[in-house]
Amino acid sequence: MTAEFVLSGVCHAYGAGMDALEGIDLTIEAGQHVAIVGANGSGKSTLLKMLDGLVFARAGVIEAFGHALTEDALEDPAFRREFRSRVGFVFQDADVQLFCNTVFDELAFGPLQLGLMPEDVRTRVAETAEALRIGKLLDRAPYTLSGGEKKRVAIASVLTMRPQALLMDEPTNALDPRSQVWLLDVLEEWKRAGRTVVIATHDLSAAAESCDRMIVLSEDHRVVADGAPEEVLARRDLLLSVNLIHEHAHRHGADRHVHPHAHEHEHA
Amino acid sequence: MIPALQHMGDPATRSRRGHRSLARRTADALGRAVADVLENDELASTPGLMQSLDPRVKLVSILAFAVATSLVHSLPVLLGLTLTTVAFAAASKVPLASFAAKVWSTAGFFGALLAAPAATAWITPGPVLVPLGPLSVTAPGLLIAARLVTRVAAGAGFGLLVVWTTRWTDLLRALSAVGVPELVVATLAMTQKQIMSLLRTVENMHLARESRMLSVGTVHENRGWVVERMAFVARRSMKTADDVYDAMLARGFDGHMPSLAALRTRAADWGWLLTSAAVCALALGIDRMVFPL
Repeated sequence: MTAEFVLSGVCHAYGAGMDALEGIDLTIEAGQHVAIVGANGSGKSTLLKMLDGLVFARAGVIEAFGHALTEDALEDPAFRREFRSRVGFVFQDADVQLFCNTVFDELAFGPLQLGLMPEDVRTRVAETAEALRIGKLLDRAPYTLSGGEKKRVAIASVLTMRPQALLMDEPTNALDPRSQVWLLDVLEEWKRAGRTVVIATHDLSAAAESCDRMIVLSEDHRVVADGAPEEVLARRDLLLSVNLIHEHAHRHGADRHVHPHAHEHEHA
Repeated sequence: MIPALQHMGDPATRSRRGHRSLARRTADALGRAVADVLENDELASTPGLMQSLDPRVKLVSILAFAVATSLVHSLPVLLGLTLTTVAFAAASKVPLASFAAKVWSTAGFFGALLAAPAATAWITPGPVLVPLGPLSVTAPGLLIAARLVTRVAAGAGFGLLVVWTTRWTDLLRALSAVGVPELVVATLAMTQKQIMSLLRTVENMHLARESRMLSVGTVHENRGWVVERMAFVARRSMKTADDVYDAMLARGFDGHMPSLAALRTRAADWGWLLTSAAVCALALGIDRMVFPL
């Protein structure tokens, strides 16, 4: 396996006393499906943005595909084009990601930025729309779509760029159960195709189902666990300490008992 | 059971005089604004004369009508152009009552406000029709004011027809096709999207406030709350703008907005363009020859 992303001693803060990441050392290999889990504010989204070259480390080094990922490096048009064509980012808020006039324009935006020929762009848009079952939406304005449709379009808008690595911030957020299953199927296809996926989430069930590696960020913004999902999820004390699960008391008939409970809807 | 406290207060949405609360009124207005935009898109998708035209052709022809309207001096010809807008609206299945209300209650009203001084003896001397001292309405003044109001209404009517019979996305494509820079068009698109998103946010904020209010609140309280929320929305819109820019960068944005916009001009579009040119020429011809200054 080759390393796609290497982070060494990475730290970041948004201002005095607003630390986002502390001493992060990570290597993400090509083809891995990685879940970065942590409570709200633990630094998951910041880490993803760093992997996409949208936020830069205050200390430490980030390498992507064997090259230093810095603000200066991304000023170079050749490197920027190469990097953007290889890494796709699905934002947590689909509304933020959908900025074009129509769904068609949204799907065509990335390939056009990469300089593809119009015919190739149309082909990619048509293929992706069919695969994600959004063909009927192509002529619609994004703001007229439902939450689930927006999420599909947001994902499709990145997939048309055919990235090698896909970064997704809270991908199951605001999705109804059927759309969640659909998303897990999409991720499964990506796994079979050998592409890298990094998701940031606090939905432990989705993370366990779609990933083969789980990295846990603590509330003080450090990596406190890194391993197979089943191993990480078995460490209940750790999950309790990082605020990913909590003690939950309830009754089954006449019996009242306490057991750990995940943040979303999943019993750990 | 409803707590006794809630029985004691006025209903959240109405005061003793039956007035609705600021929160409810604002939320309703914002909801209507969003609904208006969505209804416009629906109307633009309805089969009709102007809906069937290439948006570029529509833009050019409306520009021609606007120029003709501004050059015409005679009131009968201006009235004729105004009636033309009504005929176009009818042929495009635009609800006439709504069209007339929008044109006359906004453009007509503001036009009348601007034109009112010109109708007085103070600005335009002449035979007095309504004696009111220095503010007496004179015959030539009234004619000037009527011309101005009719001109504004005709121009606004043509503009409104384009907006109502063209999907927003097609309008942006048309602007792009007629040479408006891509970045300007992209900015317009994002602005509209942002406005829609912020309208929803503000509407929800007002509804959330109303759901927790037991009275309509004083004017002072309402004003303070509105100012505070305006600051919040401004901050939020700035953050959203940053996030949208990040999302653009993530998909390779480098300052250009290439597009695959495909608009087709058919024989009917050329026919419309020629007819529009003929109507404008006819209007100017009648104005100059039948009603010379």
